Amino acid sequence: MAQDLDINHDTLREIYRQMSRIHEVDKAIQAGLSSGKFMFTYWPLTGQECIPAAIAPLVTAEDSMITIYRGIHDQVAKGVPLKGLFAEALGRVDGVNKGKGGSPHISDPSSGSMLTTAIVGAGAPIANGIALANKMRGTGKVTIVNFGDGATSIGAVHEAMNLAGAWKLPVIFMCQNNQIGEYTPIPEYTASEGFTARAEALGFRGITLDGNDPVAFYNGMKEIIESVRNGDGPVFVEAMTLRLGPHAGVGWSHLLNKEELAAAKEAWPVPATRKLLIEAGICTEEELDAMDKANAEEVKEAVEFGLASEVTGEDEMLLDVYGDPDVVPVRGQRTQRAAEPEFTGETKEMAMFEAVQDALDLSMQLDDNVYCLGEDIGDDPGGVFKCFKGMQSKWGERIRPTPIAEQAIIGCATGSALVGMRPVAEIMFADFVGVCMDQITNHAAKQRYMSGATTHVPMTVRMIAGGGIGGFGAQHSQSTEAMLLHQPGLKIVYPSTPTEAKGLLMSCIFDDDPCIQMESMMLTYALKEEVPVGDYRIPLGVAKVKRPGTDITLITYGWQVMQCLMAAEELAKDGISCEVLDLRTLLPLDYDRILASVEKTGRALVVHAAVEFCGLGAEIASTINETLFGQLKAPASRFGAAYAPIAYSKTIETAQVPNVGSIAARVRDIVK
Amino acid sequence: MATKLTIPKLQMSTTEGTLAEWLVDDGATVEAGQPIYSLETDKSVQEIEAPESGTLTQSAAAGETYPVGHEIGEIS
Repeated sequence: MAQDLDINHDTLREIYRQMSRIHEVDKAIQAGLSSGKFMFTYWPLTGQECIPAAIAPLVTAEDSMITIYRGIHDQVAKGVPLKGLFAEALGRVDGVNKGKGGSPHISDPSSGSMLTTAIVGAGAPIANGIALANKMRGTGKVTIVNFGDGATSIGAVHEAMNLAGAWKLPVIFMCQNNQIGEYTPIPEYTASEGFTARAEALGFRGITLDGNDPVAFYNGMKEIIESVRNGDGPVFVEAMTLRLGPHAGVGWSHLLNKEELAAAKEAWPVPATRKLLIEAGICTEEELDAMDKANAEEVKEAVEFGLASEVTGEDEMLLDVYGDPDVVPVRGQRTQRAAEPEFTGETKEMAMFEAVQDALDLSMQLDDNVYCLGEDIGDDPGGVFKCFKGMQSKWGERIRPTPIAEQAIIGCATGSALVGMRPVAEIMFADFVGVCMDQITNHAAKQRYMSGATTHVPMTVRMIAGGGIGGFGAQHSQSTEAMLLHQPGLKIVYPSTPTEAKGLLMSCIFDDDPCIQMESMMLTYALKEEVPVGDYRIPLGVAKVKRPGTDITLITYGWQVMQCLMAAEELAKDGISCEVLDLRTLLPLDYDRILASVEKTGRALVVHAAVEFCGLGAEIASTINETLFGQLKAPASRFGAAYAPIAYSKTIETAQVPNVGSIAARVRDIVK
Repeated sequence: MATKLTIPKLQMSTTEGTLAEWLVDDGATVEAGQPIYSLETDKSVQEIEAPESGTLTQSAAAGETYPVGHEIGEIS
C-alpha cells in the first residue's frame, strides 16, 4: 500500500519523470563536452532539476517563461522540443532558433519559452511586459521569470520588481537560489539574509520554498500560481536549491569541499525523489528504470538529430537582423524605396509635440495593441514635453505613467512587443539611453536575430535630444544616435518637421522591428506648420531634398536641417548653390538618394549635431568617396560636434556644434 | 562504434589542458559516469567522467599538455 504523501501520486510520478528527463539532457551534454564531441559553453543546472519539473504540471504552453543561460532545465520542462534544443546548442539549422541563438538564447514561443538572456537579471523587466499584455488582454495567463540568486544584486531586477508591484502584474519572480553567483558564494556578495524581504519592501509577497522538495515546492507553487492567475499581483519566490556543478563547464563544483559535496549529492532531488517514490510505494524500481530509459532514448535521438543537422551557414548572416533584409546597410548598395505621395488632403497647424500626440492618438485608435508608457506621461502633466496632455483621461490604462526606471520601461515594452503589443515608450532625454542600453541593445535589438525570427519586437522608443538650446548641460543635451546606430537590429528616425514627426512615428509604431524616434528639443515647440490630418505615414528609409542645388549636397537630419537651410540661403548670396538632403531616417539609410544627389552636385558635406568622430557623417562620407571617386569635384567630408561633452555655457555649446556660420565656412572651403 | 576522447573545452578561456593522470588502466572496462582521467586547466583540476561504457584505449601519455580537440583515447 502506497504511503500517503501530500500530493497526487501521478503528479509526483510526472514530476520525477520530468526531473529524470532534465537529468538525461544534462548527462548527454556533459558527456558530449567531456569527450570533446560538443564544443560550446555550458552552464550546468545539476541540482536544480526539481524547480521547473514541479512547475511544469501547473502551467500550459500559453503561460510564458523567461530564463537565463543556466536554463536548460527550465527549457526542457517548459516543453521546448529536445531535438530543436540540441540542434540549437550545436549551432545547427534545425535548432529552434536556426542555430543563431544557441543554448543561452533559446526562444520557443510554441512552448511559451519566450526569451533566454545571457545578461544576468535582464529577463525580469521583459517578463513584466508579457505580464502586462496578459493583464491588459485579461487572459489569466501567468509569466514566470527565472534567475539565480546572483541576479538579485543587479538593478534591472529591482526596477522590474518595483514596477510589477506598482502595476500588480501577473508575474512570478522565480529566484533559483543555488547559493552561488557564478564563482562568488553568499555571503561574499550580499549581507542579505535571504531575498524575500525585498519583495515585501516593494509591497508584494515574497515566499521561500524548498526548491529541492518536489512535494512542498509543488504545493507552494500551486497556491502561488493560482493567486497570480486570479489577479492578486506578483509574487517573488526564493526557491532554495544548490548548484552541484561549476559555473561553466562539466563535472562537480570545486567551490564545495568534499563533505559539502557529499551532503549535496545526498540532497540532490533527482536521486532523492526516486528514492521517495520507491519508499512511499508509489513506483517500483523497475517502473522508474523504464522511465529513465525512455528519457535516455528520447535524449539520444535528440543528440543524433542535432549532430546530423547541418551547421548553420553564412547565407543566414544578414537574415533576421530585420524583418526585411534590405534594411541592413551594405556599403554603397542602393536600395530604392518609394517616397510618400504628395499630400493633398486636410491639414491642421501643429507644433512637433502636437504632431507626435496626433500620431499616438491615431495609432491607438487604429490598433488596440498600441499603448504608451513612460515617466510622467499621465495627466497632469501629460508628459514633460506635453506630448500626452489629456491622453490618460481619454485612454485610461493604455497610457501608463511609470516609475523613474528606464530599464523597467524598455524591458516592459520589449516583453509586451514579444507577444504582439505595439508599445510606444518615452524615455525623455536621449542621454538617459545609457541607463537602459542593455535592454535596448542586448534585448530588443538582438532578439529577432537570436531567436532566428521566431520572435520579433515591434516597439517604438521616443527620446528627446536637448542640444542646441543651451543651458541643459552635458547630461540632457547629447545626440546619442551614433551609439544606437552601432547596434544592428534597431531602426532610427530623426524628423526635422512636425509633419515628418507624425508620419515617421506612425510608420515606426506599425513597423515590426524596434524603432527609435529621436526628437529635437530645438524643434518641439518652436516650429509650427500645416500637418496632414488622419492616418499619415512616411516610409522609413526615404530621404528628402529640402532645397535643390547644384554645387554641393549638404546631407543632414534633425535640427541641423534648419541650420543647413539657413547656411544654404547665406551661401546663395555668394553664388554657391547648395542642395540640402534631409535623411529623415538614419537606418535604413537612403544610400540611393544620397548618391543620386552627390552624382549631380559632385560635392558633399554631411552635417550633424552628434560628435563628428566615428559618427554617421564619417560613414556616409566614406561611402560617397568609395562609390563616386571618379565623379567627385572634391572629397566628401563630414562636420559634426567637437569631441567634448556638451557644455553648460551657451557660448561653448554654440561653438562646439555646427551652426550656420561654421557650416557656411566649411562649404566655402570645399567649393572654392 | 567507438567514442573518441579529445581534450574538452570546458571554459571559454580554455585553449589547452594537461592530462594530469589516467585514473583507469589502458584496456580496462569503464562504466559511463566513472572518472577516467584528471584534467588540469588554467583554473583547476577536474576529473573527467567516461561519456560511455566500454573498453578504454589510451593514446596519449599522462603528464603532458595538449591543445583542445587533441585526441587522447577512445572508448569502444
